[in-house]
Amino acid sequence: MFDVWKNVLEQIKHQISNEKFATYFNKTSLEGVENGVAKIGVPNIFMQINVRKNFDKLIRAALKNNNIDFSDTEYVITNNDNKVRKSREIFSTSELKNKSETKRYLSNSPRISSNGLIPEYTFDNFIVGTNNDLAVYTAKEVVDDPGGKRNPFFLYGKSGVGKTHLIQAIGNELLKKNPNLKILYTPINHFYSDFISAIRSKNPDSWKPKYMNLDVLIIDDFQLIAEKDKSQIEFFNIFNDMHLSKRQIIVASDRLPEEIKEVDTRLASRLTQKGAYDIQLPGYEERYAILQAKAEYNGVEIEPQAIEYIAENVKTNIRDLNSEYEKLIAFAELRGMTPLEVINSGFSRPSVSTSRKNTTAKKIIDKTAKYYDMTTETMLSKSRVAHIKNARQVAMYLLQNELGLSTTKTATELGLKDHTTVMNGVKRIKNEMKMNFKLREDINILQEKIYS
Amino acid sequence: MELKVDQSKLSKALAIVSKVAASRATLPILNNVLIKVVKNKVTLTATNLDMAIIDYLPVSSSKDGEITVPARLLADFVANLPKGDIEISSKDTKVTISSSKYQSVINGSDVSDFPELPEINEKKAVIFKVPVEDFKNGVSSVKIAASNDMTRPALTGIYFNTNESVLCVAATDGYRLAEKKLISDVKSEVKAIVPASTVTEVLSSISEETEEVEILFDESQVCFRMGEIEVTSKYIDGSFPDYRKLIPENMEVDLNLKKSELLRVTKLAALFAKEVGGSIILETSKSDGVLKVSSVINEFGENTSEIEVKVSQDTKVILNSRYLLDALNVLDSEDVKVGISGNLQPIKIENKKSLDYVHIIMPLKG
Repeated sequence: MFDVWKNVLEQIKHQISNEKFATYFNKTSLEGVENGVAKIGVPNIFMQINVRKNFDKLIRAALKNNNIDFSDTEYVITNNDNKVRKSREIFSTSELKNKSETKRYLSNSPRISSNGLIPEYTFDNFIVGTNNDLAVYTAKEVVDDPGGKRNPFFLYGKSGVGKTHLIQAIGNELLKKNPNLKILYTPINHFYSDFISAIRSKNPDSWKPKYMNLDVLIIDDFQLIAEKDKSQIEFFNIFNDMHLSKRQIIVASDRLPEEIKEVDTRLASRLTQKGAYDIQLPGYEERYAILQAKAEYNGVEIEPQAIEYIAENVKTNIRDLNSEYEKLIAFAELRGMTPLEVINSGFSRPSVSTSRKNTTAKKIIDKTAKYYDMTTETMLSKSRVAHIKNARQVAMYLLQNELGLSTTKTATELGLKDHTTVMNGVKRIKNEMKMNFKLREDINILQEKIYS
Repeated sequence: MELKVDQSKLSKALAIVSKVAASRATLPILNNVLIKVVKNKVTLTATNLDMAIIDYLPVSSSKDGEITVPARLLADFVANLPKGDIEISSKDTKVTISSSKYQSVINGSDVSDFPELPEINEKKAVIFKVPVEDFKNGVSSVKIAASNDMTRPALTGIYFNTNESVLCVAATDGYRLAEKKLISDVKSEVKAIVPASTVTEVLSSISEETEEVEILFDESQVCFRMGEIEVTSKYIDGSFPDYRKLIPENMEVDLNLKKSELLRVTKLAALFAKEVGGSIILETSKSDGVLKVSSVINEFGENTSEIEVKVSQDTKVILNSRYLLDALNVLDSEDVKVGISGNLQPIKIENKKSLDYVHIIMPLKG
């Protein structure tokens, strides 16, 4: 092993007092040579200033004696504290970059800019699965052609499934393509309070500049829209104005506009004139993928079994999923354990609210049959009558999705011999759900019922 | 160099500064205090190369120059002088200190070996001003939770961080965790770990005249300004755990207790728990309406005390009595709220009225 720094230190040691050497060189290192610059690692700013000031000449001479090819020196603060000091061989640049990374953060301005967009929400870190692929596909069409054929873009889904992430990603991506675009992201209740405070103030039009002349308006939490009053009329006016002049409107809500009783029917129909796209709760595979991507994105080491454990146990929504994951990682960091060790130690227990109450295959089958107004025997018969077949397939879908049963196991539960029947049935339901509001509603209701 | 200064003022300044000048430093110059006079402005400086402290000294007359003197010796000497003016002058490295009847000559050393200190870039730095009482109470109430384990450097510091426009300080040793909200409505953002030893120095430099603590976070160093005194320090490099995730929001049982009463029963149980690493059991009973605090049975015997309190549910947790005592001792109100969520779940301790302080203790395995 070519231990350059050790040799350098050995040489310097003989040229200065023992006290100086012990004080100033104890935690130093040679971090590498990059573009002719020798990077010398020092433990903190005090050392940085004084080692450079007092010993740069000596260090340069010693490096030259050791045949290091460099034209300049740079003193960098590295985290060598408390590691047993080892002289290093020269690192490649990529390793260097990772090593000097610290998580200190200083900023004199808040991170969220006035357009309401949070840069962390991108398409890159949005996990696409069967629960949201159509919505993501359409969102990307909006990015390609803002104000075009997907205007307005209406997105809906239960809370915590990633709606905000997706509509923010559209905003960020549009801004990346054209930094001059005027974009505003706002939850509808902020629009509402802007409006109210303007009316109360002396200048009732003072809310307008913020919302007028926008190229893209992104409205979140649309279900919180206030009753049919002036603010809704104003929103409708902005909507019409933007829509007529082919400027993009993006709206996210936890349900369809016609299901929000405060919303005027005209506005409701306008909002979904180009369709309504939804995000469903993620299944086990999606949950696993989300966590895996998150760990990779943040450079966190986590065992696959630990990811499985969370994906298995947190079934409510992505928000809860993320929060359980972050809790686990934080605890692991705190204790100096790996995530799996934390789980095995018993200290991690997903909050009661994040795991649904248990249900059984029998309960799913019975409730589904009851919901579709037939006996369990009828539903499980081999009848090919459309509505009976449909009920049977919904049951297959629920068995897989809610209990995570394998195709074969699902077939057994339903008294079927051929597991491909299950595969085809589940596939049909998944496809149908994207187009068929009624079916989706049925499944949502059933998902509630089977846990009650 | 020459200066004339009031004995009590000089003595006070030296007492603070000389603590940073480590008396057993490997490098002799680090034992010294730098006395510097520039245009009637006198500063005393000491450093241990992890942090530095500067004290601006009011003087009645002076002549420019600079010298370093062994800090401990000078501090002890000046402390024992009678009240009144002291004159200090230097010629080469001989420093003469005289006061009415007393005179001494101390061998100082040249300033060229004294370390150069980092300067804060005030334009770039992120700056917060914290009222002194808030700073003192806040920081000392989280400091007890910081770790001494040098193998995990990030936990040996105090984590200054902003969250939703609130500046918070937090510390944890992996077994307990404390957070205090310092000031709200801040516009800047910060995430930085400051060594607990620096914070200790800052706390002890706060005097009665201090009104606020100005904290300047720069790229590679942080500076605390308290009137005439300035402490500059390195950061601890590393990442602090995302601790907010570990603070449980809803507890199974919330108990409204008197701090003194809980302290007393905890102390009693702790006496019997010495042999079992301080383990004590907190147990609530809904039907009896009590919190039972007891020691784990061991060869010394056992102890059980009860506090009457409204209990919503039966629960039980085992924890280290020392941590509970520490936490109770830093709470500043008599009415405290203790949240328990059962075996293996952390307990949460707060002041009943102000929710800006929270203390979490991880349970022990039963």
